[in-house]
Amino acid sequence: MAALVATLALLAAHPLHTTLTQLTYRDADRSVEVMVRGFADDFRAALGEDVTDSAASAYVRSGVTIADRTGRPLPAAWCGLKRTGDVLWLCLRARAPLGPRGLRLRVALLFDRYADQINIVQASYDGRRAALLFTRGDALKPLP
Amino acid sequence: MSELATYVTLGFRHITDVAAMDHILFLFALAAIYRLRDWQDALWVVSAFTVGHSVTLALAATGALVLPTRLIEFLIPVTIVATCVENLVVRDRRRTIWGGHYRPVFAGVFGLVHGAGFANYLRSLFVDRIALPLFGFNAGIELGQLVVLALAAAALAVLDRLLALAATRPGVGVLRLRVVAVSAAVALVAARWAAERSPF
Repeated sequence: MAALVATLALLAAHPLHTTLTQLTYRDADRSVEVMVRGFADDFRAALGEDVTDSAASAYVRSGVTIADRTGRPLPAAWCGLKRTGDVLWLCLRARAPLGPRGLRLRVALLFDRYADQINIVQASYDGRRAALLFTRGDALKPLP
Repeated sequence: MSELATYVTLGFRHITDVAAMDHILFLFALAAIYRLRDWQDALWVVSAFTVGHSVTLALAATGALVLPTRLIEFLIPVTIVATCVENLVVRDRRRTIWGGHYRPVFAGVFGLVHGAGFANYLRSLFVDRIALPLFGFNAGIELGQLVVLALAAAALAVLDRLLALAATRPGVGVLRLRVVAVSAAVALVAARWAAERSPF
């Protein structure tokens, strides 16, 4: 009984490990913008106390994969980091010459850090909205 | 997956994850006094908890109510301890106020505290469109709570069997043994959380 109580007590933090990514397709230059929002504490745990622009850029580019409908990865360019309150906003852009339909995505941020991490993607394209949900072990998922 | 289904999944996964142990133990403490045949009473209490946390979740997530996070995180385990104390102190509910039917009221009030615990998170991430995430997340939490309640009922039934085998003193009911064992253990855990989270 004592061991059970001690074990349960260690689970007290009740954290919510989630990021929210907004993917927007821009018809004008056939590109996608990927804006990741996540709690600064979570990224500090992964990147160290001082989340620098270069460290965040490398981490997000390795954790977010964008591919076209053929499965070909789209090179993503870093477009900055900003902070509002407890939340970090991390931006990537990629050219998507084949358009948004069938675009494939994987957001694997913080899976290496938290077993319960969930990454949500809200996508806006062609006047419609869609959502994807990623947990540890998920592969690329196509936009509907 | 539709947006709504995404947020329902998020809420469901959240409440059924071991990381949500404070909410799970609160439900377990609420359910500890009921037998399977009392399922309607248990459902009333859990429904009242749901109404309570839905209200504060909506108010706090939309910014209509601003609550200090540290105080809320401290009050959540306090509600668990209070529930356990009530379980231990009240031996005959028929002889208490309202014939023992006050439990949905305090479950609803404690639900107000638990709902505030989720709200800051939702408000921080879903800054521009909160209604759909809020509704879906809440629906997922409710579904998850029903699963937790079903698992709690099964676990308590197993515990009853074990206690019946172990009980050596005549006159001490298995239900009372169960209530004491579960409430004491959960209260210890929650008291430690309260001490760790104390803002004072």
